[in-house]
This record gives sequence, C-alpha cells and structure tokens, in this order.
Amino acid sequence: MSQKKLNVVLSQAQGKDPNRRAIEEEIAAALLMEPGIDLGIVPALYDLHEGHTGRLYLEGVQGDMVVISWLYPRAAYWLLDRDGIQGKLGETNIKPADNNDDEDEEGEEASKPKGIGSVKVQDRFIFCLDLRDAKDHRTYVEEVRRILTECKQRWADAIPESKPAMVQLGMNISALASNGTAASNGTALLNGNDTNGASFLKDEMLKIPGRRWYPVIDYSRCTNCMECLDFCLFGVYGVDSLERIYVDNQDSCKKGCPACSRVCPEQAIMFPDYKSPAIAGAPVGAISGLKIDLTKLFGGGDALVIAAKERDKELLRDGRDAVGLSVGIPKRQPDKKDSPKDDLDNLMDSLDSLEI
Amino acid sequence: MSEPLQFMMGKYAAEVPADLYYSRNHFWCRVVAGKNRFGFSSYAIKLMQDVYFLDWQVNAGDKVALLEQIGHIETSKAVSDLFAPLEGTLLCFNPEVLADPSAINVNGYDKGWLFEMDGTIDSLMDANAYHAFLEENWEKAQRMLKGKINAGDD
Repeated sequence: MSQKKLNVVLSQAQGKDPNRRAIEEEIAAALLMEPGIDLGIVPALYDLHEGHTGRLYLEGVQGDMVVISWLYPRAAYWLLDRDGIQGKLGETNIKPADNNDDEDEEGEEASKPKGIGSVKVQDRFIFCLDLRDAKDHRTYVEEVRRILTECKQRWADAIPESKPAMVQLGMNISALASNGTAASNGTALLNGNDTNGASFLKDEMLKIPGRRWYPVIDYSRCTNCMECLDFCLFGVYGVDSLERIYVDNQDSCKKGCPACSRVCPEQAIMFPDYKSPAIAGAPVGAISGLKIDLTKLFGGGDALVIAAKERDKELLRDGRDAVGLSVGIPKRQPDKKDSPKDDLDNLMDSLDSLEI
Repeated sequence: MSEPLQFMMGKYAAEVPADLYYSRNHFWCRVVAGKNRFGFSSYAIKLMQDVYFLDWQVNAGDKVALLEQIGHIETSKAVSDLFAPLEGTLLCFNPEVLADPSAINVNGYDKGWLFEMDGTIDSLMDANAYHAFLEENWEKAQRMLKGKINAGDD
C-alpha cells in the first residue's frame, strides 16, 4: 500500500509553560485542518517509556513522518532510532534563528564523521523539526506543507510496498505506571486515533509520563570505540548482538549527569535535556566546529576531569567509592599533532586585528 | 584612581583596572556595599567576543565551592562552562545581563557585572599580580587556543 497521508507527530513540552503550549496548540489547530495530514499528539518524546500509549502510537506509525518536538533534530531522530522507530533523516528547511549570520559559508565540518551508522533502517523518511527554531506557528505549518509536497512526489514515483523492518508493538500496556499526573486537559486538540489501523485513546496517549534521563547515541558519529562503556560505572551501556554499543539500561542513568557525553571523543552522546547545547544535541558543526571551548581557561580543567568529578558525585550518592580518574579514562595521545582547526587560528589572528 | 594596566594580547590591549581584584579564572572583583561583585576581565571578553547567551546553573543563596560549575556561556566565538571564583554563597545575579548580555561587551567592568558573592577574597590577585599572571600564561593560553583545547593533558 502506498502512503496517502503524511504522518505528523507533535511532541509536547515537558512542564506547563503556557507559551510553549500556545504554539503547540496553534500548530495542532492548523494541521488538523490541513488536507493530507494525519496528526498525532504525544507528551515529551524523551520521557515516553516503553509501553506508554504515545510511544506505541509512534511505533505504529508507518511511512514518512514529521516529528515536531522541543528537541534538537539530531537528538529527536536518534532517540527515536534507539526505540526502534527508524527511518532516514529527512532534510528540513527550518534552521535555528541565530545561526544565519556569519556561517553562510557552510564551513561546517571539514571531515565527515566516520560513524558506524544505524542498522535496520526502514525505507522511509523522518523529518525532525525543533519548536525552538521559530516563534511563529506558521513556519512549521508551511514546512509541513513543503514536506508533504516533497513526499507526495516520492510516493508517486515509488515502487509500491515498502516493508517496515520491525515494528515492536505489543509491549506490556498493563505495566503502564500511572504517574499520578492527570492527563493534560485543555490541550486535547487531537483526533488522535486510528493511524494505520490501530486505535489509541486520546487520554492514554497524552498521559504525562514521569521525567526520564538517559543518553542518546548519534550513530552517524559513534565509532564504536566503547569509551563510554568503560567509563560509565552504572551499567547504562551495553553491546548488542552485532557487537555495537547501545544504551542498554536507560533508566539506570543518573539524573543530571552528562559525564559520558564529555568523555565521548566523537561527540556522539547526547542528553537532550541538558542545558548546554553541545551536550543536548545541537548541530555539531555549529557548536564545536566553529566555537572554541574556553572552559579550561575559565578554570574548568578539561572535559575528562569534569566528567570524572560528575561520575564521582553519583558514585558517592549511591554509597559507592569515588574513583576519580583511575577507572575507564581513555588515554588520548597527548602529543597528537594539532588538527587543522582553522577557526582557532582565525580567532588568534583576529586578536591582532581587533577594532575598538 | 591610578591608571589601568594594560596587557597586550597580540596588538590588542586588554585593560586591567588597578583598583580591582582578579581571580585566576579571569573574573574581576569589586567590593560593593560589602559584597564581592564579579564580572569578566577584558582579557576574557576579548577571547570570547560577543556574548550571545548566558545561563546560570545555581540559584541565589546557593553555597558553592571554589571552581564549582555555576553556569555556561555562549558567545560569537566560544562556548564555556563558568566556575565559581571563590568559595562562598552566591548572593545574586545581575538581571540586566541575563536579559541582555550585550552590556558585558559594552561595559564589562561596570554595568556588565555578573554576580555577587560573599566569602573571603584573600585568594584573589591585585591588578599587578593578575597582569603578571596573564603575562606568564599568555604563551600557554595561545598554545591551548591553537590546538590543544580538547586534548586534555599539556
């Protein structure tokens, strides 16, 4: 069966920020009226645990899909990937507002990341839009329209029958813990049922899950070096049957601790809820490629020292012994030749020619 | 008031006002009504350039350890975590720079102040000592900027 409608899933913000709710509602209202769109609304993507109705809904969505959330697109895409909701990353036209100025030269990354990539990717596209990128809901509605046009073209050209690789339905719904939080009313802008046959109760879908905290691996960057596995002493990481690193026990992770992300030599580990953009999944080119990390200059020691401190804090909290830098700290070549980081040189050069 | 000292960063002269104290992580300190007020030295600002985004990760009233992480900054050229220059209690943050961080660039030694703390400032340097500290570390800083940023040990 070829796809007729574009699936759009709107993932709500955590918390009850009225401004965020407002733009969500405006987008939902507009998309409900939009022909060719199947809209579903779920709570914050990051918090959807196994068995949550919203997650079952997502797992059931077939074909091309637009995911609109309060997460960096990279974080949203790989978080879905970890949960078996896979596809190829669709190219979108919405870009962060303040990124447009002097970065036009597409200077991005000189070297392409050499990640191990995802496996079992379904033959479909997932487009991830970040709700922080624009203030006007119309930006999103227009982008969804554009994507719909693009997809329609592809559906028309497509050889029919695209088999979904694996859809993990049938999780234990009865295990759905009631978190005591009332399903959010007032946002019930959802016709949210019968996508692709399955039916989902609106209240169940919007039931607010408890907050979660776990790392998300960007396999387009991950080289399977296993440094995170060695570093984390809480059993979060594991190795799958293909000997690939993966986030095995998500909920063993220590809330607020982003240490493994600092240890990762490829910036492949994201914590979508973390405050600093580099760790939350901001585009790697924009953050680390063009910007210099001055943390050391401001007294921060290097990333590994910070990571070890953060880990020690969690170990002590668990009643275990702090290990400092003695366990799982990778040996980096201290005399690695300076990589051709032109931006750094540029900065230094600019020091000589500063105005004022 | 005595003339500010100047530290030459390449051809740029970073001012080091003589009447302030300085921490090794490039904050200045001025005692205002009994509280230690902190801001970025012009050396720090020159390296970071235009401040886009400032985020504090502790609250007024929190006790912090020396070099405990208290925030994060993103500028046109750099990102950095920010660390407490003293051990003590964080008393308040400058709401104006939180709303609009451009004051940090425009008037970093006055209106662009960042936060106030209590705690003893004995560990801070005077202007002469800070100038000497910059002098002493300039080579190292340049080397770090040029390529050793993430490489850990040097």
